[in-house]
Amino acid sequence: MMRQVNILFKKELLDAYRDKRSVMAGLYYAFGAPIVMCLLFSILLQQMASPEALKITIEGADRAPNLVQYLDSAEISHSDADDVKPIRLEISEDYQQDMAHGRSATVVIVADKSDSKLIKSVRRLETALLRYNSEVAGLRLVARGIDPGLMRALDVQTHDQATPDAKGGLFLGIVTLSIIIAVFYSAMNLGIDTSAGERERNSLALLLSHPLSSMQIVLAKVAAIATFSILGLALVLVVSKFAYAMVAWEQLGFSITLDIRFILVSLIIGIPIALMSASMLIFVSFMAKSFKEAQSYVTMVLMVPVGLSMMTSYDIATETIQWLPIAAQQYAMIELIKGNALPYAPLGVASVFTLALFALFTYLSSRMLKSEKVVFGL
Amino acid sequence: MIKVHNLKKQIASVDAMDGLSFSAENGHITGLLGPNGAGKTTCLRTVFGLLQADDGYAEIDGIKVHEDPMAAKQQLGLFPDPCGLYERLTPREYIEFYAQLSGMTKTAAKAATQRVIEQLKMTDIADRRCQGFSQGQRMKTALAQAIVHQPRNIILDEPTRGLDVMSTRVLRELLLMLKEQGHCVLFSSHVMQEVAALCDHVVVMAKGKVVAQGTPDQLCEQTGKASLEEAFIVLIGSDEGIAA
Repeated sequence: MMRQVNILFKKELLDAYRDKRSVMAGLYYAFGAPIVMCLLFSILLQQMASPEALKITIEGADRAPNLVQYLDSAEISHSDADDVKPIRLEISEDYQQDMAHGRSATVVIVADKSDSKLIKSVRRLETALLRYNSEVAGLRLVARGIDPGLMRALDVQTHDQATPDAKGGLFLGIVTLSIIIAVFYSAMNLGIDTSAGERERNSLALLLSHPLSSMQIVLAKVAAIATFSILGLALVLVVSKFAYAMVAWEQLGFSITLDIRFILVSLIIGIPIALMSASMLIFVSFMAKSFKEAQSYVTMVLMVPVGLSMMTSYDIATETIQWLPIAAQQYAMIELIKGNALPYAPLGVASVFTLALFALFTYLSSRMLKSEKVVFGL
Repeated sequence: MIKVHNLKKQIASVDAMDGLSFSAENGHITGLLGPNGAGKTTCLRTVFGLLQADDGYAEIDGIKVHEDPMAAKQQLGLFPDPCGLYERLTPREYIEFYAQLSGMTKTAAKAATQRVIEQLKMTDIADRRCQGFSQGQRMKTALAQAIVHQPRNIILDEPTRGLDVMSTRVLRELLLMLKEQGHCVLFSSHVMQEVAALCDHVVVMAKGKVVAQGTPDQLCEQTGKASLEEAFIVLIGSDEGIAA
């Protein structure tokens, strides 16, 4: 039984290895994805770390030199150039007088608050003005011999319990997503080629005429595709390890470091996924009538694992989907990067579920190969 | 020995096989002769267990194909139409792979592959990838695959299509040699000269039925014609006459 599988498995590996187009497609993803992500993160982090200078129009700036200076230190300043935001700060004519007499001096913010792109800048200006307000008020109280602390009835303190690594949740989600998806994409073309392609080249009928069962054929093909999936996974992990090490995480106070333990654990939890993905690829490809048709079916079907992975990345319905295949494995990888313990229960349940799907797809594919309609593409 | 008994099969409301019965003996070359669409390939595929007959059965060395397909396939070598090559493998790898699948050990498969490559005079192409092969080179590779494991029964589907004179001669010698060794050779064709020159037994098929069988001479005698081609036309034509 295993002898026949082994002979066919070796032939499939050799055949797949020589299929340069499919191998390149797999490599392209494994190398490309982490590098693209890396560039994306670097740009994102830069934007998050140092807020851009906010240019607005300040009218009557000469009446409030202190306020203007204070705003300037918060990177908010007047500009006449083109990059100015449509926010106007009007300093009233009696500002100086009111200030001098300890009255409320009027400043007016003129902006369109329905403009969602502007709202963040408006808030930033409001916060800066409020801070200036309490600073001046405090000074006034001190001048009258009153403790400014009186003005603070509530002392609100927030203790941020998030560990630095946990803060990078979304980043972690995207990193693990790009790793998990590699299992599916790195062997996609090979999977189609070895099933729908084999039938289209008329070699499937000859293979079936030899003394080996359709189950042996499917098992050998699944094993060969899964081998390439795991190779793709290993490659994407190694490339990710070096690529993400180059992102300047320290600006955000957390870091994504993929250590050897993470790589090894990911490879192990990736094996059931690779088997499931390989059997699914074969099943879908044999369902299709031609190579072309198989390509479009496979692309559609792959939306499901990508969707599950996306839901984990964006933390949608985590409680429920953490028990499902792919989502659970990805969740485990996220926990591992965060330095937490592996969630054994969901991971175990999902792995068994994943292997059950592998068994189901393999069984269905081997049954299909017994149908003359499938074999001859009738 | 290959025997088919009362095979019936409908494909898309067409009777591809309609009560087909004949047998191919060991040490004989049996030709399955018929016009296009007569059901030759369907019949051969049924013998290989690739198609399920609606009724009747095929038997190889006494093993019923639908009852024990594995054991039956073990006794067979197939030269299919189309060839079904793996473009990215060399003929040597391809032949060796199928030799192993048919039950040979790795070393035995290697030796047998070398032997068959020399026998078919394909040493020059043995280590080139099949991609871009000419029709004749493809046919030789497929033929080598069919006989490498020395099966008792060999089935060839249109083995002479696209072969040049030299290759046809090689094929002819090979089939005669297999016959000498006591193999059962069954091949389908619509090339009269081939059938006339090689076959000990001819089965003439039309519309899924056997219309006549016997040695080429017997067929000529039966129809009162001088050549097998003439006899064939009479046999097929008369069938159409009945059907009309």
